[in-house]
Amino acid sequence: MTERPIVELTEITKIYEGKVMHRALNLLSFEAMEGEFVAIMGPSGSGKTTLLNLISSIDLPTYGQIIIDGIEPEKLPENKLALFRRHNLGFIFQEINLLNTLTVEENIVLPLTLDGFSLEEMERRLGNLSERLDLAEILDKRPDELSGGQAQRTAIGRALVHQPKIILADEPTGNLDSKSAKDVLELLSEVNETMRTTIVMVTHDPIAASYCDRVLFIKDGAFFNEIYKDERRQTFFQRILNVLSLLGGHSHELSSVRLP
Amino acid sequence: MNFRQFAYRNVVRNRRIYAAFFMASVFSVMVFFLYSMLLFHPSIEDRFVQEIAIIGMGVAEIVLYIFTLFFLFYSMRAFLQARSKEFGILLHLGMKKGQLNRLIFIETMLIGIAAIGIGTALGFTFSKFFLMVVREVVSLPALPLYLSWKPFVLTISAFLSLFTIISYIAPVFIRTGKVVDLLRGDGNEKGNYGYSKLRGYVGLFFLGLSYAMAAFTSNSTVISLFIFLPPLATIGTYYFFTDSVPLILHSLRKQRWLFWRRYRLFTISEGIVWLRENARMFFIVTIVSTLAFMSVGTLASLTSFASQYREMNPLGLVYISEESNRFEQAHIVELLTELEEEELDYELTVFTILRQRSSFSGGLVDILRQSDVNMLAHTLGYPPLHLEKGKALFLPPSISSYKSLNARVVNTVLEESEVAIRIDGAYPHQLFAANSVGTNAIVLNDADFELALVRDKSESANLYRYYAFHIPEWQKTKEIGVAIDASLTETFIKGNSNSLPYSFDNPGLNYSIIRTTFSLLLLTGLLLAVVFFLAAGSFIYFRLYTRLDQDRKQFDILRRLGLTDREFKKIVNQQLIPQFFFPWGVAMLHSSFAFLSLQVIWDALAEISIVKELVIVLTGFTMMQLFYFYLIRWRYLAHIRTPR
Repeated sequence: MTERPIVELTEITKIYEGKVMHRALNLLSFEAMEGEFVAIMGPSGSGKTTLLNLISSIDLPTYGQIIIDGIEPEKLPENKLALFRRHNLGFIFQEINLLNTLTVEENIVLPLTLDGFSLEEMERRLGNLSERLDLAEILDKRPDELSGGQAQRTAIGRALVHQPKIILADEPTGNLDSKSAKDVLELLSEVNETMRTTIVMVTHDPIAASYCDRVLFIKDGAFFNEIYKDERRQTFFQRILNVLSLLGGHSHELSSVRLP
Repeated sequence: MNFRQFAYRNVVRNRRIYAAFFMASVFSVMVFFLYSMLLFHPSIEDRFVQEIAIIGMGVAEIVLYIFTLFFLFYSMRAFLQARSKEFGILLHLGMKKGQLNRLIFIETMLIGIAAIGIGTALGFTFSKFFLMVVREVVSLPALPLYLSWKPFVLTISAFLSLFTIISYIAPVFIRTGKVVDLLRGDGNEKGNYGYSKLRGYVGLFFLGLSYAMAAFTSNSTVISLFIFLPPLATIGTYYFFTDSVPLILHSLRKQRWLFWRRYRLFTISEGIVWLRENARMFFIVTIVSTLAFMSVGTLASLTSFASQYREMNPLGLVYISEESNRFEQAHIVELLTELEEEELDYELTVFTILRQRSSFSGGLVDILRQSDVNMLAHTLGYPPLHLEKGKALFLPPSISSYKSLNARVVNTVLEESEVAIRIDGAYPHQLFAANSVGTNAIVLNDADFELALVRDKSESANLYRYYAFHIPEWQKTKEIGVAIDASLTETFIKGNSNSLPYSFDNPGLNYSIIRTTFSLLLLTGLLLAVVFFLAAGSFIYFRLYTRLDQDRKQFDILRRLGLTDREFKKIVNQQLIPQFFFPWGVAMLHSSFAFLSLQVIWDALAEISIVKELVIVLTGFTMMQLFYFYLIRWRYLAHIRTPR
């Protein structure tokens, strides 16, 4: 693993103005190295999704600096920003968000058609991906004919087809049964290992987080803790649970926490 | 908050969605009211115009009523289905089915009553203006604003009944099966991408067939086509939208090199879904627009008929007197005085027409003297003619008959006088009003004419005196000879039309009646077309609105995937343009072919070309549609960009 940070957030603050002012992130700094698989965890409302939106440049911070792959998205004009997103980032959502009117293969090549790729190139990439993601048999199906796991694999295919440097995943296993979730996570870590794609994943699920290299915990928009993976996934999982139990409770309850 | 308040708030807070629906309702109430204003207008004294007004407006009102019923029906259904999630929540909270029905009833009536109120008020506000326009178009002397309860009562009762019907029927549209299904909302109606290949081909075949038949219409087949073509084209159009277009798009989808390109992937597949959901609406819009184009085009061509009226009636006034006519002097003096009073310039040519039997055809022939004809020709600015002895020329009764008459050579003997003549060809200009001289009229040189007159063996020679008034300002002769005209009309109504020894023709008066009738019909048709047009547009707006949440979600996905704003606009364009212009283009095509076959009829009737009028009408509609498109696109973009 090279030690070059590909995502750099420095003292990010995000305030939502409105009838009630809401400080979603407060002086949070975060880095992800090239080829790293990072999970971001935290209770509901802790600012996980805001953080992900900031990295994906569909939202801009109130204060602080964001650098992604050496580029400051904030300084790009609107159109360039969209293209930057399209070429450098891949997205995976909890709601999967496939376009219902398109078949699996069409959903996957959609980002390429927008860029006017040649048909041969599109078919080549589609062939590669469908083999790797085990999609070959369902290429002609529509999203509503797919199981949850198949749909999420399709979405991963769509995120990967541009060969992005970073994949941003928002609760990718949130709507899946445990078997499909396991498949998807194994697929993501395989992609991470073989293609050296950086993955930043927001999740609630400690099992999902245990597939990562590192887990960042945030609470109320600020840094809370950070742990790195160790030899065995099982022990890493236990340590994640430990932090979570601290994270979930209030300070006066801390003493009563008993680890299983 | 009581129940009625709840319903009221539902409406007010859903106003964005209700807006298009409400506006279209208001507009049709307004137009209905304006029609009624004309329908009951007390000062349309001219009996003929009044009849036309009543018939035209009456038909228009009925059409409007039925159309509004359909329009409300359709939009209500789409609207309630879009709100099914809301109804699901209400049922989930334990609202009884009966209460839900009452809620919808109250809501619909609220909108209805508001629409009636505002529509009538707007109608009354604009009625002064409307009456002014009508007065201009119809060239009536005065059409003042009046106050009467009749138009109000008609409009209010008509639309109140309409909204009551809709309000009672509306709840049926909610498919109250399981509450869960309702809660899940509209999103679960996917999976049905079905279309029938057979029907698709049948649709294409029917349309092709009707186009071909319309294009190759001839005089002999035109009547049977009138019965045969409309149903064929209607069925063809229906299948075209429900099956043929999906068939084409699906086969297009298989061509990756065509389909996997830029935005097409997205827009075509979205288009297929759109089409599946809205095929019936597209069908209705197409048929309605075709009807609108057709009626306006036909009426416009009638107006062009009126403008060519002059060619067919070159003379200002015509008075024809038999020899036994006691009133001849009195009438002519009367006409002359009236012309002086109106300060109209005129040139009077008087000539004698002899009627004798031709041995060739056995029919009666009207014979004119060459010098008389030359005098008239001189007045009208046509070249004089010189006939040799024994020669004659046909005088064509209409322009269209000139060609066939000119090619004829007839040797005949005038039976009463035994004068032998050779009729060779026809005079190339029209000197008389169409058919005011007998259809069989010839001109002889003066010597032959005298011979025929002197030798006439019958007890009294069949002689007419023809008074031709050439009046440059022929359109102003409306007030001339009214008494004579009235005496003729009176005898005509009493049923003994041939008993009077004179006849009188006033093209100016006839023209004003024809023009009035046509322009009134045109105005009616135009207003109807505008209502149709507005309704068609609001159908589209409405469907857009009911899908807005879904679309917004989709564009959100696309934006995250990195869609630039320009690309976004392009996609919206590619999605909206077909919706606006596809049904409408089909309607254009339909009406163009329909006019092709109509032109055949016009050719036969009056040899006029309706191309100019059609181009004006179609361009006008195109401009309006473009305006509407930009308006709605603007609203749609604004809505879809603001996240909820």
